[in-house]
Amino acid sequence: MIQMNIQLIISAIVLGLSMSGVYFLLTVGLSLCYGLMRMISLDQFFYYALGAYMVYTITSLTGSFLLGALGAMLTTLVVAFVVERLINKRVYSKPVMFSMILTFGVNLMGVGLIKYVWGLTPKPVASPIGGSLNILGTSVPGYRIFVILLAVLVYLAVQYFLNKTILGTAIRAGIDDAEKVKALGINISRLFTVTFVLSSVLSALAGVIHAPFVMVSPEMGMSITAFAFMVVIIGGLGSIKGTMVSALIVGQVVSLGALIWAPLAEMAPFLVMIFILLIKPTGLYGSKLMNR
Amino acid sequence: MKRFINSWTGIFIVFILLYFLKGFLPPAFLTEVVIFSIYAMGCSFLIGRLGLTSFGQPAFLAFGAYGAGVYLYYFGTNSYVAILVGVLASLVINMLVGTFLVRLNSSYFTLCNQAFCVVTFFIFQKALVKWTFGDNGLLLISRMDPTPVIDLTSPRGIYLFSFIIAILVWLFFNYLMKKSVFGATCLCVKDNEEKLRFLGYKTFNIKWLAFVIANTVAGLAGALYTVYFCMVNANIANVSSASEAVAISMLGGAGTLFGPLVGSFIFIGLKDIVSRFISHWEVLVGFLLIVVMLAGEKGIVGSLESYLAKRKAKKSMMQPALTKEGGL
Repeated sequence: MIQMNIQLIISAIVLGLSMSGVYFLLTVGLSLCYGLMRMISLDQFFYYALGAYMVYTITSLTGSFLLGALGAMLTTLVVAFVVERLINKRVYSKPVMFSMILTFGVNLMGVGLIKYVWGLTPKPVASPIGGSLNILGTSVPGYRIFVILLAVLVYLAVQYFLNKTILGTAIRAGIDDAEKVKALGINISRLFTVTFVLSSVLSALAGVIHAPFVMVSPEMGMSITAFAFMVVIIGGLGSIKGTMVSALIVGQVVSLGALIWAPLAEMAPFLVMIFILLIKPTGLYGSKLMNR
Repeated sequence: MKRFINSWTGIFIVFILLYFLKGFLPPAFLTEVVIFSIYAMGCSFLIGRLGLTSFGQPAFLAFGAYGAGVYLYYFGTNSYVAILVGVLASLVINMLVGTFLVRLNSSYFTLCNQAFCVVTFFIFQKALVKWTFGDNGLLLISRMDPTPVIDLTSPRGIYLFSFIIAILVWLFFNYLMKKSVFGATCLCVKDNEEKLRFLGYKTFNIKWLAFVIANTVAGLAGALYTVYFCMVNANIANVSSASEAVAISMLGGAGTLFGPLVGSFIFIGLKDIVSRFISHWEVLVGFLLIVVMLAGEKGIVGSLESYLAKRKAKKSMMQPALTKEGGL
C-alpha cells in the first residue's frame, strides 16, 4: 500500500513538473510584455492555441512532430508580427486597461477563426517520444521528462538572451526605464516588436508541447487562462525568475491537489494565490516599481 | 427643478421608445436587451467611473443566478422571493470577495478577477455538482408558480418586470453618477488615487462600496436571467462570455447612463443577425472590441455626450461675444 502511494506521488510530481514547464513557457511571454511594454497581452492564449493547432495539422500531414513544432512557431511568428504592427503598437502609450481589452478582442477573434477553420471537435496529437523511464520503481513517460528538460533549456536560453546579448541587455534596460533607453538612441518600437514576437513564439511552443497531453480544442486557450494568470500573479508581473518559481509551485499544487480531491486541482492554486497576495500584494518577486 | 426634469425626461423617452419598439421587434429580444443592460451597467460603472476592468463579471452574474435557482429548486416557488434571494446571495459574496480583490492595483485586479471567474465556473461545474448538476443545470420550468401583480412566468410579465427594474437601476445610477458625492469620489479614484488618499479619504472603502454595488447589480441581472429562462447551468459563469459585458460597456460608452442599453441593443442585435450567417460570433465580438478600442475609448453614447457638451459650450461662448461686438 505504501509502495503504491509512493509511486502515485512520484508520478504526480513528474506530471506537476511537466505542467510547470508548460505554464512557464506560456507565462514568460505575459511577464516580458508587462515588464517592457506595460501591457497585459491576453492574445498569448490565442498563439498558444494556434501553436497546438498548427502542430496537429502539420504532424498529421507529414508525420513529423519536429517539423510540426517548427512550422507552428514560424506561423505564430508571422501572425504575431502582423498583429503587433497593425494593432497592438497603437495602445502601448495608453493605460493597461486598453491593451487588456484590445488583446482580449484579438484573442476572441483568433479563437473564432480557429473554430471556423478547424471546427469544434477536439483533435488528438500523438506523443512524439514513446517509451518510459524508471524512477525509483515508478515508470514515467519519456515525453514528460523531455518537456521538463525543454522548459529548463528555454529558461536558460531566455536568461542568456536577456543577460549576455546586446539586444537582451537593451530589453532589460527598457524594463527598468523605457524613456532613458529611447534617449540613448535605441529604437524602442523595434525592441517592443522583438519582445512581443519572442513572447508569442514561446507561447506557441507551450501550445506545441502541451498538445500531446491534452486534446487540441478551440477552448484550450481559455481553459489554461486561469492557471497562467495565477502563475503570473504569484510570481509577480514582469519577473522571469518569479515566473519560473511560481510555475513550479502551481504545477505541484495542481498535480498533488488532484491526488487528494479532483476539484482541488482547479481551486488549490487559487487559494495559494490568495494566501501569497495577502502577504505580498505584488507577488513573490514583483518589485514596487511594477506596482503601477 | 429643471435638472430633475432633465434626468427624468431621458429615462422617460427611452421608456416610451422601448415600449413602442415592442410592436416591431420580438419581445424575447427586448427582454434580453433589457436584462443585459442591467448586467452591463455594473461593468460599465466599474470601467468608466472607477478604472477597474472587470473580466470576471460572469462570476457575479452566476452568484445571483444560482441564488435564485437554488431557492426555486430546493425551497420555494415564488419568483419574487427567488430574485430577492439571488440579490442577497450575491451581495453577501461580493462583500467577502471585494475585501480581497479591491486591495489590489488595477492590473492585478483584472487578472485575479478573471482567475476568480474561472474558479467560480469550476466550483459550479465540478465541486458542487451534487447540488448544481453542473452543465445540465437546474431546470425550474415546473417549479415556478404564477406570481401576483405581475406574472413573472409569462413572457409579457417578465418583460414588464425587468423593464421596471431597469428603470429603477437607471435612476439609482443616475443619482450615483451625477448627484452624489460618492460618485464624484469614484471618479477621483480613477484619476488620481494617491491624491485622494492624501486628502484624507479611505480609497479602499470607496472602491469596496463601488465594487459591491456594481456586482450586486450584476447579480440582480443574473437572478432575472434565471427567472426568464427558467433554468440555470454552469455555463453562465463561463469565462469566454466575460468579454460580452466589457464589449457592451465599451461599445455604448463606459460610465454613461445609457451606454449599456445602447451597447446591449447593438450587440445582441448584431449577435442575432450574425449568428444566422456564421455560427461563431466570437469573431464579431473580438472585432468590435478591437475597433472600439482603436477608435477611442468613449463609445457611442460617450462620443455623443461630449459632442453635445462641446456644442453647448461653444454656444455659451458665442453669446457674450456677439453682444459685445454688436453682431458679426
